[in-house]
Amino acid sequence: MRLGETDVSFQLNLNTETVDHCYPAEPLCLAPADSVAEALRRMKENNRGSVLVCKDQIVIGVFTERDALKMMADGASFDAPLERFMTPDPVVLRACDLVGKAIAMMAQGGYRRLPIVDDRGRPTGIITLEGIMHYLAEHFPAAIYNLPPEPHHSMQEREGA
Amino acid sequence: MILCPYCGSENIKGEDECADCGQPLDDSHLTPPTSDVERSLLSDRIGLLVPKRPITVAPTTPVGDVLRLLVERRIGCVVVVEGSRPVGIFSERDALRKINTQVAELAARPVSEFMTPNPQTLVADAKIAFAVQRMDLGGYRHLPIVGERGELVGIISARDILRHLTDEMARG
Repeated sequence: MRLGETDVSFQLNLNTETVDHCYPAEPLCLAPADSVAEALRRMKENNRGSVLVCKDQIVIGVFTERDALKMMADGASFDAPLERFMTPDPVVLRACDLVGKAIAMMAQGGYRRLPIVDDRGRPTGIITLEGIMHYLAEHFPAAIYNLPPEPHHSMQEREGA
Repeated sequence: MILCPYCGSENIKGEDECADCGQPLDDSHLTPPTSDVERSLLSDRIGLLVPKRPITVAPTTPVGDVLRLLVERRIGCVVVVEGSRPVGIFSERDALRKINTQVAELAARPVSEFMTPNPQTLVADAKIAFAVQRMDLGGYRHLPIVGERGELVGIISARDILRHLTDEMARG
C-alpha cells in the first residue's frame, strides 16, 4: 500500500482501474536482425520472459521464453535472426485499457504478457502475469497480510516456476 | 483439530495462529468483501479451480527430454517427483535461466540439477487468495496441490486463477 491511500485502495477495481496499475515492466527491445542468441542472453541477464522486436521504434513482434523453449527442444541454431522465430503483430494493450480486460485476455487467450503501446505503436511497457498477480495480492483487504516475514522480492528478481 | 481458514492446514484447537502459514485462525476480523470478485477470492477454495493432473518426471530424467516434453504436451512446467512426493518444479523459466543457449552441452544432465527445488505446495482446501499471495511472494506461476500425506494430487496455475476471476467478473 502506498502512502496516503485509504482503505478504499484495497478494493479490487478491475473494471475501473487501468493496466498501468499492474506494475508494467520496462520494454526490452531488440531489432529484427538481432540473433536469437542475443535475445536469450538479454532475457537471462534481465530476468525477463520476453523481448519486443521493434523496427523504427514500433513493435512488430515478440519473442518469448516459449519460443526459446521450442528452439531449445528442437536443437535449432540460435544464430538465426529474431524475425524468423518471433510471433509477428502481437496482441497489445493501451495504457487506458482496464485491468479486467488484461485479465480476460490472459485467461482466455493464454497470453502471459501483453505489451502496452502508445497511439503510434511505440512500446511503453509490458503487462506480465506476475504483475497482475502482484496487483491482485496488493489489493486484498489489509488483514490478510499477516503472513510470516519472507524476503521481499522485487519484480525484476523473481524466478518463475 | 481446527482448519486454518487461509491455507487449510490442520491445527491444534486453542491455538491463535496457524502453525503452517502464521495467519490468525479466526478470520472474522477481515474486512468484508466489497464485490463478487473479492468475495470469490476470499472465500473460494483451490479445489474449485479443478486442479489439473500434473505431468511428472523423475529427478534423473535428462533435461533435454524434459524440454521436449514441455513442448509436446504444451505445458509450462513439470513437477519432479520422488515416489509421489513433489521435490521440484522445472519450468520454461528455469530452461531460459539455466539452460539458455547451452542446450547441446547440458541436454543429457539430470533435471534435478536445473529444477527449482522444494516447491511451495498447497492443499485443495486452501483459499484462492492464499494461492495468489504465495504465487506473488515467490514469483511462481504454478503451485502443486498435495494431499494429506504430502502426495502430489494436482497443479494449479496463475492462469487458472485468472480464468476463475474472469468467470466471476462475467457473473458480477
